[in-house]
Amino acid sequence: MGKVKSAIITALVVAAIVILSLFATISCPLNEVERYNSFITSIHMGSDLTGEAYALFYPEGVISQADYNSVVKDNDNPDKSEYEEKYEQHNSVYVEKDKLSSDSDFAESVAKDAEIITARFAQKGYTKYSVSVVDTYVIKVTVPTNFTYAAYKEYDNTSRSEELTKIGYTINYLTLNGEIDLRNGQDDKATSIIPLKYNGFANFFKGANYYAVGGNHYVRINLNDEGYKNLNNIIGNLSDGTGYFFIGDTCVGLQITYGENITNKTLAFQVGENYAKDYSIILDSVIQGNVLANNYNDDGKNTEVIATTPAFGESAVIWLFVLLLLALIGAIVISVLKYKKLGLVNSLIALAFSVIMITAILLTGIQLTVAGAFVLVLGLVLLLFSNFRVFEAVRKETLTGRTVQASVKTGYKKSLTTILDLHIVILVVAAMLALICTGELAACGLILFIATVASYVLHWFTRFMWFVISSLVKDKFKFCGYDREVLDDED
Amino acid sequence: MKTNFKLSSKMHLFIIISSAIIAIGLLVGIICQCVANGFFNYGDDYANYKSVSVTYVDTDFSGKEEKPVDHIKKICEDAFNEAGVKSYQVAVGDTTTGGTVIYKFINSTDFSKLENAKQIINDKLEGEVDEAAIAYNYAAANDAETLLGSGKSVAMAAVAISACIVFHFVYFVIRYKLTMALGAILADFHNLALFLMIMALTRIPVGSSIATFAVITVVLTMIGTCFLFDRMRKNFKDEDMKKLSAFEIVDKTADESFVLNTVMPACLATVSVVAFILLSISSLSPLAIISPVLCSLISFISCAYGTALFVPSVYSRFKQIGDNVKKNSRAKTAKTTKK
Repeated sequence: MGKVKSAIITALVVAAIVILSLFATISCPLNEVERYNSFITSIHMGSDLTGEAYALFYPEGVISQADYNSVVKDNDNPDKSEYEEKYEQHNSVYVEKDKLSSDSDFAESVAKDAEIITARFAQKGYTKYSVSVVDTYVIKVTVPTNFTYAAYKEYDNTSRSEELTKIGYTINYLTLNGEIDLRNGQDDKATSIIPLKYNGFANFFKGANYYAVGGNHYVRINLNDEGYKNLNNIIGNLSDGTGYFFIGDTCVGLQITYGENITNKTLAFQVGENYAKDYSIILDSVIQGNVLANNYNDDGKNTEVIATTPAFGESAVIWLFVLLLLALIGAIVISVLKYKKLGLVNSLIALAFSVIMITAILLTGIQLTVAGAFVLVLGLVLLLFSNFRVFEAVRKETLTGRTVQASVKTGYKKSLTTILDLHIVILVVAAMLALICTGELAACGLILFIATVASYVLHWFTRFMWFVISSLVKDKFKFCGYDREVLDDED
Repeated sequence: MKTNFKLSSKMHLFIIISSAIIAIGLLVGIICQCVANGFFNYGDDYANYKSVSVTYVDTDFSGKEEKPVDHIKKICEDAFNEAGVKSYQVAVGDTTTGGTVIYKFINSTDFSKLENAKQIINDKLEGEVDEAAIAYNYAAANDAETLLGSGKSVAMAAVAISACIVFHFVYFVIRYKLTMALGAILADFHNLALFLMIMALTRIPVGSSIATFAVITVVLTMIGTCFLFDRMRKNFKDEDMKKLSAFEIVDKTADESFVLNTVMPACLATVSVVAFILLSISSLSPLAIISPVLCSLISFISCAYGTALFVPSVYSRFKQIGDNVKKNSRAKTAKTTKK
């Protein structure tokens, strides 16, 4: 390759990687109001890095210490004596004495509800979540905040409040109480329009699931034979024109319109991205008969979602990025020390790998956790060791007296099967993890999948860049840090 | 770096070491399953816990210049010292009217001590806020029973790991040899068992990270076996090597792959240690990060030992058996042809 051509290609590739690196890592204010958030600050983080959000669910008959105190500690409050008589303290909560008289039943029903709620949240695919029963009578649901670094640090308040709103909706929907129903109104005043002969409406369904096609999100409800037989009659009876699906007294945003003709055993509803999964989970849970025994937080109206700081400390994200940066610097230093200028080529590739991974994680919306960061490092190690393997194979070839170019050709050829086998095995394993696992492991599987693909592509790109950049130099042995064994007419 | 270990002659030693660790880990795990808190020392997201939470409204504590949350943290930490309890995690959250500070304690913490700490905090708060705000600035001691929210993810991880190991075996049978595939599957099982049993033995608290590091153990083992058996395959085909015995070739190959199979886990272990140092600075409590870091270190040590030492030594016997079977079948075929 000519030197000019080689210099142009090198400059273009280096410029592209450097510019992309800057966009990926540097955030800055654009003006007094707007701010550019880099790729890395726009990646969604797991609960270990940006904290978790929790909500407490008080069943009917149980109140918080704050609610109790606000009445009892106010001497002018007319309800004071009533509260003192009505409630009994149990650790940090106050329980109606009537409820406590059937103590074990009530406590058991709360525990059972917690199990149902756990099963519902399991389907959300959070990297980490937990459902606990606090002080026997209160259910605590904890999920990751899913904040980006920008949202976590409140540089981007819109996405922070959006995430919390989403969590609020999810928590409310997945803790809904009651049977599935169809009504001709959206608010609490809505009355069931289903004639008495169809009061088995809740039994018309087999299940519900979520699917997405071409960026659109759907909830599919599967009808059983009876549902299929009766639903058209029900639609014919919709006096107000539209029937809304309700769970208990809460409307879930799915509707059937008068005149619609059900021709097969499935009902598909296109829904907004944020709600589709929640609707399908709650509908499926209720259809399968998992109905909560208690009503919580006055039908979810008094639920407060509280975002807390992460377990690894408030600046855990920063330290994690420092760690990833140190890993990259370590890779660069080792490469340069061992392979001189060829090490620089390898460093350029390592940098490209990092930028590609940041961009890919951002675009796919994967939630990054500490374990995910480890998988990223594993991907980098895979790329480096694949390249080192080839560099050593080439070094061996040069010791037989071949030129560097001939050695590169033979070295790559001899290492092809090793590198290919390695990447195929890891790729399939990563795909299995991404498809079979849930939560954090699925995210790690996806990261490993992308990292493996990137590693293999960049492994070959290393060869290209090696060829291009080394075209500029005369002594190719010195360029690669190899010892010249045969001092004949090299190159 | 050449080791000059005659690994194939040390097979029995490695088998004894591995079996001893696995057996003791299994035994400790089973005993703890019966009498203590489970096969592993479930912590973090699996564990029941106790907590003291302080709810506050945005109050100016007697004109003090610090943020309410900082002042409350000081009050709490003094109270915990007085009551003789130590939390393992603290989280701060904002509510619509103020905030909340939650201190988590391991489940074995004496609840009466937490009640005592709570009372001390409440007494101090009552002394510092006005009468109207007393109702909204208070501490509460809680006893939380966590459901196995991550249980499903562990079950799915087990299914995924099994599927990965099966794939690893099948791929090696197709691309390499049956003996090598057996070596690869042995490596997977050995390293995974070693990792899990050391976790059970050392009673390091495990959270959902155990599933992640179990997977990383398998993936690292796969990378290691790919390098090891590829080199093995090439050496067995090499004309010069053919003069050597199977044991010698295995030893030589293990020597050649030793650096790679130890340096790679060592690099990752270094990253773990650096992560521990950095995240300890961040969390101000090494307790919060120590368990995943130890988990990762055990994973990397299991991989390095298993892939670089144990597997080559046992594979030498697989190779010997394979060669014998081949020899016998060839002899049989020759006999049949003669007849």
